[in-house]
Amino acid sequence: MRISRRAFAAAAVAVLLPLSACGSGGDGGGSSDASGKVEGDITFQTWNLRANFKPYFEGLIAEFEKKYPGTEVKWVDQPAEGYADKISADAAGGTLPDVVNVSPDLVAPLAKAGLALDLDKAAPQYKKEYLPGAWAGHRIPGMTGTYAFPWYLNTGPLFYNKTLFKEAGLDPEKPPKTYDDLFADALTMAGKSGGKVATLANVPTIEDFGRYGVPLMNEEGTAFTFNDAKGVELLTKYKELYDAKALDPQALTATPESSGKKFLTGAVAMNPGSALDLGNFKKQAPSLYKNIGITDQITSTGHVNMYVMGVMVNSQSKRKPAAVAFAHFVTDAAHQMSFAKKVAIFPSTAGSLDDPYFTKEDGTDETRVRVAAAKSLKTAVNYTPVLFSEQMKIALRNEVAKALQGKQSPEEALDNAVKECDRLLQQQG
Amino acid sequence: MSVLEKTRAPEKPAVAREPRVTDEHGRRVRVGELVLRYVLLLAVLALTIGPFLWQLSTSLKGPTEDIYSSPPTFLPGDPTLHNYARVADTIPVWDYALNSLKVATANVVTNCVGSALAGYALARLRYRGRRVATLAFILAMLVPVEGIIIAQFTTMRELGLNNTLIGVVLPGCIGAMNVLLMRNAFLNLPYEIEEAAFVDGANAWQRFLRIALPSVKGTLAVVAIFAFMGAWDDFLWPLIVLSDPSKFTLTIGLNYLHGTFANDERLVAAGTIIAVAPLIALFACLQRYFFRGVGEGAVKG
Amino acid sequence: MAVSGISRVRRQLPTSPWLFAAPGLLVTGAFVLYPFVSTLVNAFTDRRTLIPGQFVGLANFRELLQDDMFWTGLRNSTLYVLGVVPPLVVLPLLLALLVQKNIPGITFFRSAFYTPVVASIVVVGLIWVWLLDDRGLVNSLLETVGAGRVGFLSDQWLLLLSAMAVTVWKGLGYYMIIYLAALGNVPRELHEAAAVDGAGAVRRFLTVTVPAVRSTMVLVGALSSVAAFKVFSEVYLLAGPSGGPAGEDTTLVMLVQRTGTGLTGRVGYASAISVVVFVVTVALMLLVLRADRKEES
Repeated sequence: MRISRRAFAAAAVAVLLPLSACGSGGDGGGSSDASGKVEGDITFQTWNLRANFKPYFEGLIAEFEKKYPGTEVKWVDQPAEGYADKISADAAGGTLPDVVNVSPDLVAPLAKAGLALDLDKAAPQYKKEYLPGAWAGHRIPGMTGTYAFPWYLNTGPLFYNKTLFKEAGLDPEKPPKTYDDLFADALTMAGKSGGKVATLANVPTIEDFGRYGVPLMNEEGTAFTFNDAKGVELLTKYKELYDAKALDPQALTATPESSGKKFLTGAVAMNPGSALDLGNFKKQAPSLYKNIGITDQITSTGHVNMYVMGVMVNSQSKRKPAAVAFAHFVTDAAHQMSFAKKVAIFPSTAGSLDDPYFTKEDGTDETRVRVAAAKSLKTAVNYTPVLFSEQMKIALRNEVAKALQGKQSPEEALDNAVKECDRLLQQQG
Repeated sequence: MSVLEKTRAPEKPAVAREPRVTDEHGRRVRVGELVLRYVLLLAVLALTIGPFLWQLSTSLKGPTEDIYSSPPTFLPGDPTLHNYARVADTIPVWDYALNSLKVATANVVTNCVGSALAGYALARLRYRGRRVATLAFILAMLVPVEGIIIAQFTTMRELGLNNTLIGVVLPGCIGAMNVLLMRNAFLNLPYEIEEAAFVDGANAWQRFLRIALPSVKGTLAVVAIFAFMGAWDDFLWPLIVLSDPSKFTLTIGLNYLHGTFANDERLVAAGTIIAVAPLIALFACLQRYFFRGVGEGAVKG
Repeated sequence: MAVSGISRVRRQLPTSPWLFAAPGLLVTGAFVLYPFVSTLVNAFTDRRTLIPGQFVGLANFRELLQDDMFWTGLRNSTLYVLGVVPPLVVLPLLLALLVQKNIPGITFFRSAFYTPVVASIVVVGLIWVWLLDDRGLVNSLLETVGAGRVGFLSDQWLLLLSAMAVTVWKGLGYYMIIYLAALGNVPRELHEAAAVDGAGAVRRFLTVTVPAVRSTMVLVGALSSVAAFKVFSEVYLLAGPSGGPAGEDTTLVMLVQRTGTGLTGRVGYASAISVVVFVVTVALMLLVLRADRKEES
C-alpha cells in the first residue's frame, strides 16, 4: 500500500507529461505537398456567417461538390464570441477543420505551430489571382511563406451626425478631413454642448496609431516601436480630448457595440463604420438616418485601414488537395464577387474592384459608400500587425487608459505598452 | 474537511407544548404584521423579477417604439411578437432547444443516479478510503474551472467524444457539489430504520433502493433542478466541444444573436426570454418537490 | 451517531462501496481532478497554447510577484469577498424569515425569489448590462426623479460595485433556501419563551434565531466566500474582457482566462495563477471553519 513519495511524483510526471505534450500540434507541420486528386470529405469552418448567409454557403458547397465528384464538404459555423478559444482547443486537440476562416492575427500562432499550410509552396499558382497587398496580408514576420488565401476585405467611411454638428455651430457639410480638423471640431462640439456631446467614442487602438503615421514595428518584426514621438503626440491629443469630454468619458470601457449604440442615440457625433451599418441605421433609427453624413476615414498616411479575412488550410489535413481546391474555390474572383453582392464587403481578388458594381454610382447612399470604399481599398493597409495578439491589445488598451486618466504621462504609457508587448512577443516564441 | 458534517443542524428536541398565538401553520397573525409582510414581499418581488419583466417588455416593443425613453415606458404601447419571429428566422431555435433539452435531461438522470450512489457510499457505507473519496469531491468543488477547460477538451478528444452531445454532458454528469448534497441528505436520515433492514438481511443495494432513496426524494429534486440549470445554462464548454452546428445548444444560439445583432436590444431581449422561460416553467412545475426537498434538509448542509 | 450500526455494516460485500462511488469518482477524477493536476504541473512550465513547455521551476511564480495586474486581480478578488459575503450571509436570512410563515401566496413569493438563481449567468449579464446602461432603465428612472445619470458601467469602482450587486441579487434566492431549511429546525419554543420574556422582534432575532442558525451562517459564509474569490462571469460581462477602465476591475480568474486562453495563451503562467486561486480558496475555507471552531469552544 505504501509507495514512496518520490516514486509517486515520478509516476505522476510520467503520466502527465504526455498530456501536456499533445497540445503541440505535432511535428511542425505536415508536408506542404497539395498535389493529387481532389477528393474525399473535408470540413470547412466559418466565423459567424451562418445566421445571415446560409443559402449562399450551401449553394457554394453544392457547386464545389458538383465540380469535383467524390468530394463532400461539411460546413460548420461558429459564433463570434469564443472563436479563438474554439480554434485553440481544436488546434491543441488536433481536431482543427481542414479549411478554416481566419483573420491574420489568428493565422500567426497557427503558422508558428506548423498548423497552417504554406501556400507559397503548396499553391503558388494562385498567387497572381489576388491583390498583391491582400496576398501578403497573411505573411508572418520572421517566417517565410503565406499562410492563408485572402478572402474578403472591409473598410468603411466615418459616419457623423449632421444635427449635432449644426447644433455646435459647425458646418454639417464640411466634416473634418485631417486630424487637426477632427481634434478642433471635437473640442468645439464638447465646448458648445457643455460636455454632453462627444465626438469620438473609442480610445486609440493599434490601427489608429498606424493610421496616424506611427511606425508600429521594426522591419524584422521583432520589436514594437509605437512609443515614438508621433505616437506620444497622438495620445497626448487624445488625453486633451478626454479631459474636455470630446472623447466620450465612457470610452475606457467602450466596445464596438456600445459605441455604435451611442452614435445611434446621439450621444456621440462620429463613428467609424461600413456600408453594412448604413442598412442598420435605416432600419433601427430612421430619424437619425436622414441626418447622417458620410465622410472618408481620416489618415495622416493617405492609406485607409482595412480588415482582412482569410481562409487557411490545415497542414495536417488528410485531404490536402481537396482542402486547397476548396479554399481557393471559396476565395476565387467569381465567388468573392457574388458574396460581395450579398453583403457589404469587398473582394480581394485582382481586378474585382474594377467591376462596375464597385465603380458606378447610382445616387443611393449605399452605392456611394461602396464606390468610395472600393476606391480607397486599392491603397488600403491592414495596419494591425499580424503578431499583435489579443493579450497585446489589452495591454495597449490598459496603458492608454491609464494615460487618459492622468495616472501616467503618454510617454510612460506607450513605453510601458511597448515593453509589455515586446515581452509577450518574445514569449510567443 | 468536514464543513458539511459540522454544520448539520441540531436534532429537534421532541418537546410538545401548547403552541402560542404567534407563528406558522396558518395560526392567526395580526393584521398590521400581515400588511407589513406583504409590503416587504412585494418590494423584494419587484427587485427579483422586475429585471426579467423589463426584459420581457423590451422584447415585446415594436421597431417604432422608443426603448430609451425617459421616463421609461414599462408597458409596450403596441405589443408584438415580431422580435420572437425574427429570432426564429435567424437561428433554428427549436433544434437548438431540443439539443439543450437532450443535454439537460441526460444531465439530470446521470446526476441523480450518480450522486445518489456516490452520496450513499460516502454517507452510509464504511470502507477504507472513504475519507479520501470525500476529500476528492470537496477538492473538485474548489477547482477553478476556467483554467482546465483545454485539458478537459484534450481528454474528451482522446476518448473520441468531441463533437457529440455525450461529450457535452460527460464532465458535469456527476457534479461534486451534488454528490456532497446527497451525502448530506443521507447522513441526516435516522440510522435506525436502515439498521432494522440490515438485521432483516437486506444488502447494501436493497437498503439503498428501498429505504434510503425514497426518503431523500426532495433532495433528488434539488439535484435535478441544479443539474438541469447547469446544463441548460452552460456556454463555453458546449462551444468548445461541439463543432457541428446541428448539435449546438440554445446558449450558443443565443450568442449568435448577440454577436450578430448586438445593437438590437429588442432582439437580444427576445432571445434571453426564450432562453430563460423554459427554466422558469420547469421550476414552477417542480417547485413543490423542490421546497419539500428543502424541508428535508437537503441544501442546508 | 449510530456507532453500532457502522460497525455492523462493515460485514457487507467488500466491493459494493466502491461500486457505488465508482461512477462519481471516475467522472470527477477524469474530468476535474486529472485536468487540474495537469494544471499544477503546467504551472512550473512555460507552456503555451500551441507550444509544449519546458520546466522553468518557480519562474512563473516569481513573475507573478512583479506583475501589477496580478496584484490588481488579487485586490479585486479580495474586495469581492469582503463586498459580497456579508450581504450574502445576512440578507438571505432576513428573506428566509420573511417567507417562512405560511401566509396565503407564500409559495409564489418563494418561487419568484428563486428565479434569478435559475437564469443563466449569461442571460443575467445581458439583462443587467441593459438595465445599467447609460440609457437603460435605472438611469432613466434616476433622471425622471431628477438625479443625474450615473456611469455604472464606466467607473472603476461603480463597475465593481455593480458586479457585486448582481452577484448578491443572483445569490439571494439560493442562500435563502439554505436558511429556510435551517430555520425549519429552530424549535418554536425558543421563540415563544423569548416572547414571553418580552423580547422584541430584533432581540429575538439576535438572541434566538442567529444562534440557532449559526452553523448554517458559517456554511453560507464558506460557500459564498469561495465563490466570490473565484468570481469571473459577473465582472467579465459587466466590465468587458479587458476588465473595465485600464483593466482596474480585473479579477484573478479573469486574469487566468485572459492570459491562458486564445491561440497565444500562456498556459504555464495562467496555471500558476490558477494554483494561487486554488490555494487561497482552500485557505479561505479553512479560515472560516477555524473561526467557527474557535467561537464554538
